[in-house]
Amino acid sequence: MSKLQDHLDEFKKTFESGAPPYNAPHEAIEMTHRATAELKASGIEDAALKVGDRAPSFTLFNQDHVQVASTDLLREGPLVVSFFRGHW
Amino acid sequence: MMELEALQEVNPEVRARGARIVALTPELERYTRSVHKKLNLTFDILTDLHLKTAEQFRLAFVLPDYLRDLYKSFGNTLDRFHDESEYRLPMPGRYVIDKEGIICAADVNADYTIRSEPSETVRVLGIIHSSPTKE
Repeated sequence: MSKLQDHLDEFKKTFESGAPPYNAPHEAIEMTHRATAELKASGIEDAALKVGDRAPSFTLFNQDHVQVASTDLLREGPLVVSFFRGHW
Repeated sequence: MMELEALQEVNPEVRARGARIVALTPELERYTRSVHKKLNLTFDILTDLHLKTAEQFRLAFVLPDYLRDLYKSFGNTLDRFHDESEYRLPMPGRYVIDKEGIICAADVNADYTIRSEPSETVRVLGIIHSSPTKE
């Protein structure tokens, strides 16, 4: 099975080389590094909910505009919740 | 996107352990619909409108001005994608929540190019699945 981190490493290598398809300018690469360093320094990783914490419940619309409630899902079994940025 | 594809790969194993995946993004449904279709996902993408749930997990952050301008130049207009003027994002994170609603695995990283392997998530689910249920 393919490793997620291998794919991410490959992406990072291509992005930071400035090559297509991203053609990232040097300044853009610098900016992403700076932003990541600042985000780390903000302490957000420590502030995020952790093992042992109670997970907040949520009721949100899915891609077909159907409401999905975490409490309903948890009645059936454990839940994997992945937060991602978006389609871009 | 890579996270979603990797989760899709392990979804049968997740389901076999009695669990379910949901992916949360601040993007509006018109975007989640197209991603869901494009990747042929068999789990839901939920629109976390205005990052309300990301805030509760304490993952929401505001993009610095310089990055906002950079993203705009790439055509990533987050104000349109999210229906809010502030350029905010969730820190990437993957949680496993047990039936009692308690977090039993938490993987977050401020560096968006670092993620834990979905196989590790499956391993955690296997442990929960095989442990006797508290009734």
